[in-house]
Amino acid sequence: MVYITSWDEFVERSVQLFRADPDSTRYAMKYRHSEGKLVLKVTDNIQCLKFKTDQTQDAKKMEKLNNIFFTLMARGPDADISEVTGKEQMETQATKRGRGRKQ
Amino acid sequence: MVLLQPDPFLNELTSMFEHSTEKGSVWVTLKRSSLKSKVQRNKMKTAGEPLDYRCLIRATNGKKTISTSVGAKDHQKFQASYATILKAHMTALKKRERKDKKKAADATTNKKDGESSKKRPKKV
Repeated sequence: MVYITSWDEFVERSVQLFRADPDSTRYAMKYRHSEGKLVLKVTDNIQCLKFKTDQTQDAKKMEKLNNIFFTLMARGPDADISEVTGKEQMETQATKRGRGRKQ
Repeated sequence: MVLLQPDPFLNELTSMFEHSTEKGSVWVTLKRSSLKSKVQRNKMKTAGEPLDYRCLIRATNGKKTISTSVGAKDHQKFQASYATILKAHMTALKKRERKDKKKAADATTNKKDGESSKKRPKKV
């Protein structure tokens, strides 16, 4: 189990992992209130990236990451994310692969 | 495994968080899925795509598992509610202690709000 220490590196590598294999990559989160710990895991069943924290500020960063993953998973791996603003761009921009619903 | 609609799922998730404050954990997993079996997928591929992918969300507290699937249209609304639930419940995490101490130590003349360590307001 690889624990990544830098948040930005974790985000970048998870997105890369997802884009490389969107069908088998999953993002898991475990929260333990009794211990005050949050662990994030992104894996494609071959590689695994983990991130562990007990900081509130990381929970906020995780929310952004949740948004990224929701967008990627619901709209397709080619979705333009660029954090939160990317979603608004997505409304007007059509996905090239023609997967699923076109807005 | 209970498959729910997004709104009941959020309600159940909230109660899971509430019940696991003393002990236990809450796991939430996100995965992309078309919710169709391999046979169906192959059939659709040969017929001419368009495969409809959804985001599958699963949550468990170790004993009970609930799940829901969210499509491209409803994912933004779901994500906003989901973020609110997480923010409301992840209260056991620590705030940045070091930053506060540092601020208190050398910022005696420059009185800043000690709690806003996340925002880091710039005052001159």
